[in-house]
Amino acid sequence: MDHFSLKRSNAPDRGNSNLSSKVYVRSTKSGKVQKIVRELYLRQDIPCSSNLCRACLDIAPKDYTNKTASFVLSDTPAGSKNFPNGQYLVPDTNAFLTGMDLFEVETAFHDVIVLQTVLEEVKNRSLPLYHRLVALTKNEGKRFYVFFNEFRQETYISRGTGETINDRNDRAVRQAVQWYNTHIKEAIKARSKKQMRIPSVVMITDDRDNLRKAKAESIPAIKLSDFVSGLENADELLDMISAAQDQREVRSKQTEVFYPEHYSISKMMTGVKAGTMHQGIFNVSPYNYLEGSVHVPTFDKSLLVLGRENGNRAVSGDVVVVEVLPTDQWKAPSTKIIEEETLNKNDNAEIEDGETITSERERKALQEEVKRAHGQSSEGKPQPTARVVGIVKRNWRQYVGHIDQGSVRSTSKSSRQQQMVFLVPMDKRVPKIRIRTRQAGELLGQRVLATIDSWERNSRYPMGHFVRSLGELESKGAETEALLLEWDVQYKPFPKTVLDCLPAEGHDWKVPASTDDPGWKGRRDLRDLLVCSIDPPGCVDIDDALHARQLPNGNFEVGVHIADVSHFVKPNNAMDKEASQRGTTVYLVDKRIDMLPMLLGTDLCSLKPYVERYAFSVLWEVTPDADIVSAHFTKSVIRSREAFSYEQAQIRIDDDSHQDELTNGMRTLLMLSKKLKQKRYDAGALNLASPEVKVQTESETSDPVDVQTKKLLDTNSLVEEFMLLANISVAAKNYEAFPQTALLRRHAAPPKTNFEELSNQLKVKKGLELRSDSSKAVADSLDQCTDANEPFFNTLVRIMATRCMMSAEYFCAGTQAYPEFRHYGLASEIYTHFTSPIRRYADLEAHRQLAAAIDYEPLDASLQSKSKLEGVCKNINVRHRNAQMAGRASIEYYVGQALKGKDINEDGFVMKIFSNGFVVFVPRFGIESLIRLRDLAAPEPEAEFDAENYVLKIKGDVQRNIELFEKVTVRITDEVEESTGKRKVKLTLV
Amino acid sequence: MTTAGKIVNNEIHLQSIHHQQTQPHQLHPPEHSDGEPETKKQEMPLDTSTYSLALLRLDGRRWNELRRIHAQINTQAAADGSSYLEMGNTKVLCTVTGPAEGRQAGQRGAKDNEAKVEVEIGFAGFSGLERRKRKSDKRTLEMQHTLSTAYSSLLLTHLYPHSTITLTLHILSQDGSMLAACINASTLALIDAGIPMSDYLVACTAASSATTSDSDNSDPLLDLNNLEEQELPFLTVGTLGRSDKVSVLICESRVRMERMESMLAVGIDGCKRMREILDGVVKEYGKRFS
Repeated sequence: MDHFSLKRSNAPDRGNSNLSSKVYVRSTKSGKVQKIVRELYLRQDIPCSSNLCRACLDIAPKDYTNKTASFVLSDTPAGSKNFPNGQYLVPDTNAFLTGMDLFEVETAFHDVIVLQTVLEEVKNRSLPLYHRLVALTKNEGKRFYVFFNEFRQETYISRGTGETINDRNDRAVRQAVQWYNTHIKEAIKARSKKQMRIPSVVMITDDRDNLRKAKAESIPAIKLSDFVSGLENADELLDMISAAQDQREVRSKQTEVFYPEHYSISKMMTGVKAGTMHQGIFNVSPYNYLEGSVHVPTFDKSLLVLGRENGNRAVSGDVVVVEVLPTDQWKAPSTKIIEEETLNKNDNAEIEDGETITSERERKALQEEVKRAHGQSSEGKPQPTARVVGIVKRNWRQYVGHIDQGSVRSTSKSSRQQQMVFLVPMDKRVPKIRIRTRQAGELLGQRVLATIDSWERNSRYPMGHFVRSLGELESKGAETEALLLEWDVQYKPFPKTVLDCLPAEGHDWKVPASTDDPGWKGRRDLRDLLVCSIDPPGCVDIDDALHARQLPNGNFEVGVHIADVSHFVKPNNAMDKEASQRGTTVYLVDKRIDMLPMLLGTDLCSLKPYVERYAFSVLWEVTPDADIVSAHFTKSVIRSREAFSYEQAQIRIDDDSHQDELTNGMRTLLMLSKKLKQKRYDAGALNLASPEVKVQTESETSDPVDVQTKKLLDTNSLVEEFMLLANISVAAKNYEAFPQTALLRRHAAPPKTNFEELSNQLKVKKGLELRSDSSKAVADSLDQCTDANEPFFNTLVRIMATRCMMSAEYFCAGTQAYPEFRHYGLASEIYTHFTSPIRRYADLEAHRQLAAAIDYEPLDASLQSKSKLEGVCKNINVRHRNAQMAGRASIEYYVGQALKGKDINEDGFVMKIFSNGFVVFVPRFGIESLIRLRDLAAPEPEAEFDAENYVLKIKGDVQRNIELFEKVTVRITDEVEESTGKRKVKLTLV
Repeated sequence: MTTAGKIVNNEIHLQSIHHQQTQPHQLHPPEHSDGEPETKKQEMPLDTSTYSLALLRLDGRRWNELRRIHAQINTQAAADGSSYLEMGNTKVLCTVTGPAEGRQAGQRGAKDNEAKVEVEIGFAGFSGLERRKRKSDKRTLEMQHTLSTAYSSLLLTHLYPHSTITLTLHILSQDGSMLAACINASTLALIDAGIPMSDYLVACTAASSATTSDSDNSDPLLDLNNLEEQELPFLTVGTLGRSDKVSVLICESRVRMERMESMLAVGIDGCKRMREILDGVVKEYGKRFS
């Protein structure tokens, strides 16, 4: 049979050098080993992408639309000390893994060739770094080019027999560098006969073996640190090289181990499946850095993780696997405040030997804890305690902090000696980070941004590296940036691509005069309605406006008009993407970080008075008893008659001499809103409180002058009621139209255990009862929680009750069952956010869905995919929370600044009691602060803590009993908190 | 020789050959046994999202390139018609039996005045990533049905009343574009069997490349391998020879309407090139008899 043989079918290809195959073996999760064979087509038309080369221009690939990507690498690349003729850099995998921050620096590292081999390896080693690298290649200014060396015939190499994959990849990198060098030389020769400067293509690697081999083959190669040393701002850049590489060399020497080894992934997975181990997020108590808790799905209450050893290198926020300890090792949660700073002041960043994981003082503190736990009966009952056995996912981010002065060896600014220092993060739950730096002297007294690189078993503290300095401690710029970074708020100015999406007319944009204009299509003309807006004073981004008028049948027509942002922000353009990233506008005391560019937020979308604007209107017919007869949704054009502040509106309503239609409309609204509110409360809506204060600043310098608690007027709740009503109506409509993909907001009922402590405290101290079986019960019993002598007591209880609640969240309708949609706090079956599209992305999405629900325009594909929406929800939930936190932190900073140098006596209330201190809340400034026993008298007074009755009996000279809910007078001064470098209010008992 | 016996024979024969093929690879030490602590690798190769970086696909092809196509005709002397076709690592063996007298007179559902086209597709246990015997599942049934209807209308079946033409396809190795490979192999085998048909029926696949989060434009990709098929929306298109007449079109993934046009255009273009290749194979074989 000479005419057929399968063997022969491959024969012609054996000699064919442009086809190769990649064979590798991989093991699956279930333990099976699979062999994978892939084809590789080797080609010669992959361009070098250097602007020096003409030959490659001809072979540049064209895409379907016949476009060719322009060449990336500059024809005059920057030079350095070692390569005066300029260089193209070819970093190997480890260079990216250790120095990604470095490559992202704007001022250095241009013209970089990323090899496919390297890209693939980076992806295997670290997905986040891979994404950062891919982002870099798309940054035009950085000139990063991905060269697919494995597909180019000249640079492809096959793995030799017995060669390890690492050696093979190193060889591939060298091969590519060599080819590039020859190629560039030839290209320049072809360009002109004259001697020109020929840039070198330089391999960057830290692998000694690789460097040696490169030298032998005379391939330009250099260590990353050596290369950086040759640059101008070398010192700053050198600090950014991850500490990991130095450690690798040192590792061999050190033998002492502080922490138990983490379990292997497969062992943890088996344990979790079998139910002997549990997975959850590691949370550290803000009061006690040694006490962590992990909430696992199996149990209602969180598992405790006590001490550093049990925490086993987990950092707050990591996803960990824990193992429950035997019962005899269970402990009670701490009643004591423990701050890292006070215990480990003297740890040395440089010396690691001779340390134990728990320092002597830490150990003492723990012993006392145990004693206490054993000595008590009910309250201090030992709780299930666990230890961390492994980490599933690190959630390390960049941390803002300051350099611990004590850890700096030489504070001289001129010293360029490299030393190991501690960075103390602002977030108290994060341990100190060891950082190697050459600029310790300069960094003292500055806000510093750093990241954690690794936490080895033999190191007590995590290792990290310096990223950049934000500026002087306590300076407004640095502190604001610090809190924005800490809460991951994107505050950079909008990029050009975003601004390009704005209407070309800019501020001159107007609602088209002719109603035939396409902009008018499907819009109702509501310009004749007497619409007005009511907002906080000085508000420029006006989202909402209202109107009300009597109908002939005795009912009222009420309209809520919301800025039509979705008209300007089309799905999936750059502006929409930026907005979905930002998720929300962040309000700081002196600054607003917008979600949308100013032009839209404060002008074109903003429902400013006296001008015509596009709006999205909800119109109801309402009976005089505030029952809804019908709801109608439409895109519209309105003209607001007036923009009131809450106060102005209140004055106008109260003043009977105003009898114009607009004012009467507002009176109708007010009347209806009160009825709506009552209905809501009857249904079980909660009236919760959070300490809200407003910082008054001097207009020019925005230096804080005074702090005031916010006043609430009737008009506040007027607006609020109708916004709630609009949100509920829209939620119902969207859900009806898109039962799978409607974007909604829910507020889960808090688990009973959340209220346990508060309800017990109220029972013991005040003989009051807090029922928590339904929101109605909570609302009613909260109303009962009053103290005749102390009007503020009720608010205090409400504040504390608020903290027992779950937080509300956005979700996609298809992911939950209908009963789970419920908004507990508002006692509404369904709810969404619709009324603030200028400052919240969720509202914008709701607008788009509503527009599709009323057949105004088709729904974009991104809003039809449940998985995409889930991603959006997840992001905006985080952003929303972060924005709140950043806002609070900003107020905290300004309150601190406002009270700087002051000395005031104020009333406060005891909110929480520990065995060695207590927390006092001062309503006047909305601040809550810790008073420790050692703050009361010079030698820390002895005290007895009666946990059952929430009494702290202080002995010695002070002789005083501190009880929960007690009203105390405190002296307010300010101090710079040593551990975080923040200026904070300090309270002392008078 | 009975049909059943032939199949068994082939399988044994092919298995041994496949074994030889994979032998050399096993000489390399498997990657995961390198024993190097710092390279504890979890294979996570690049995926289709890297296409936009340099307009290169996962195996180094451009968007409009077919894989290496290798085809042979008249591979089994005992069959009425046979062919062997490779599209990259997808390997298909096809034999044609017939036109022969139908198994039972008055076949169910078939017209009496024309031939019935029966298709059997068998997956070799070693053809996929994991060794397993594939029972005829819904997917295979659907492929059989597609082939049977396509050829029923293509072949001049009225010339053979009361008879059956049986196409037997053996999938020896799977790496994407299965249906397309089956169609191409069948066309060759039917030509070998000398059954009259109006034109070549050729097929190939086309996909739409992944879009990155920051750009919405995507290129249509031609002739997918297995990895691409898993990640991208794709269609299989079969056309009649040189014409643009689409005779088979199957798309089982969700794809944006506006991308469909370019995918189809590229797919049809691919079919034309495929026809030239198959035509070349047939003519080469024909030279022996001239």
